Amino acid sequence: MSESNPQVVVVPCSGIGKAFGSVAREAGYELCDELRPDTTRLVALSKLVLGDKEARERVRECPAITIDGCKLMCAASLVKQNGGTIAREVAVLDAFRRHKDLKPEGIAELNAEGKQLARVLAEEIAAVVDDIYGAPHGGNHA
Amino acid sequence: MPNLPERKVGIIACSGEEIPEGAVTRLAALKVLHELRRGQTVTICLPLFLAGGEGDRAFAKFHPTITVDGCDLKCAAHGTETYSGKPAASIVVSQLAAEHGIDEIGERRCLNLSGQKLVELTAGRLTELVDQILGKKDRSHTGTSVEEPADSNQSGAVGCSCGSKIPVTVLPIAGRPVEVIALPLIFNKVRATHPQMSDAATQDLMDIVKSFNDVPKEAESAWREVIVREFEAHCERERLK
Repeated sequence: MSESNPQVVVVPCSGIGKAFGSVAREAGYELCDELRPDTTRLVALSKLVLGDKEARERVRECPAITIDGCKLMCAASLVKQNGGTIAREVAVLDAFRRHKDLKPEGIAELNAEGKQLARVLAEEIAAVVDDIYGAPHGGNHA
Repeated sequence: MPNLPERKVGIIACSGEEIPEGAVTRLAALKVLHELRRGQTVTICLPLFLAGGEGDRAFAKFHPTITVDGCDLKCAAHGTETYSGKPAASIVVSQLAAEHGIDEIGERRCLNLSGQKLVELTAGRLTELVDQILGKKDRSHTGTSVEEPADSNQSGAVGCSCGSKIPVTVLPIAGRPVEVIALPLIFNKVRATHPQMSDAATQDLMDIVKSFNDVPKEAESAWREVIVREFEAHCERERLK
């Protein structure tokens, strides 16, 4: 990877009422804090609601991966509204369909299955980040 | 008898994922919604003001709203005011932390003990504001009333994206398009008690419309004319069903 490559912007949904939203956020943290800290950067969705200049520039200049917790796809929608280019739209519900044994429950505190689903999802997205960069980079590769 | 949606106190957290204070806003909001003022409060995901429909954007016009922000950017407060309605009150967690001498609250993914204390403080402040709003009979910014607290045992305190849609009808009033909140539900309620159009029906109709909508004094007669006409059309449609 070239050092001049921009980081991949990761935008999880801000879902507050459902466990799938919590999985989206947890997967974002797992990816950006643990798996690919050097090549990813989390951007808060609320900044895109506000139209924050720095956040807008970041999603416009860097490839974005959105992680949404429900079919309304707020994260993907707001990245597009702010002029960003989405490299991959990820839906937690799709991940759950692939891993039916990992049923997330809890909102303030996810259950063990929810945390595991977030971990699995983060690993899948890490592979997408690697594709963007051409090689695994940084952190503890899964 | 058809029920109008219950007006509660709306809590909107920024949930800012980048900073630990964002986690505090989310956890404090959930504590109030699920535990401290269950049944009296409701929430909506902030991004739905942009990504959702007009029913989502009506949220803060319908519910008196408290925003909870993690930092001085105040995304929730500004976003709510811009896209939905002026919040009745707002909290900034970083300011609350400074007032109480709290710093180093842990990481955004995992708050430490100070962070958990800040969650409790924020939830406590939110609860005070909820009680203040519910205790007021008049909303200063709209001139409409806030309903009495709901049954605290009622479940589903968290409306989220799927339970918070408020019907919005756009009507031409005094020569311009105006969003009117909860109109079909108001019509059904008035029709249930007044099967025939009458002065009393008109009075009830306008009283309820004004309790859910900001009707300027100078435009009241224009509102009355349009609302009555729409109500009569609604009754006719119902009769033909």
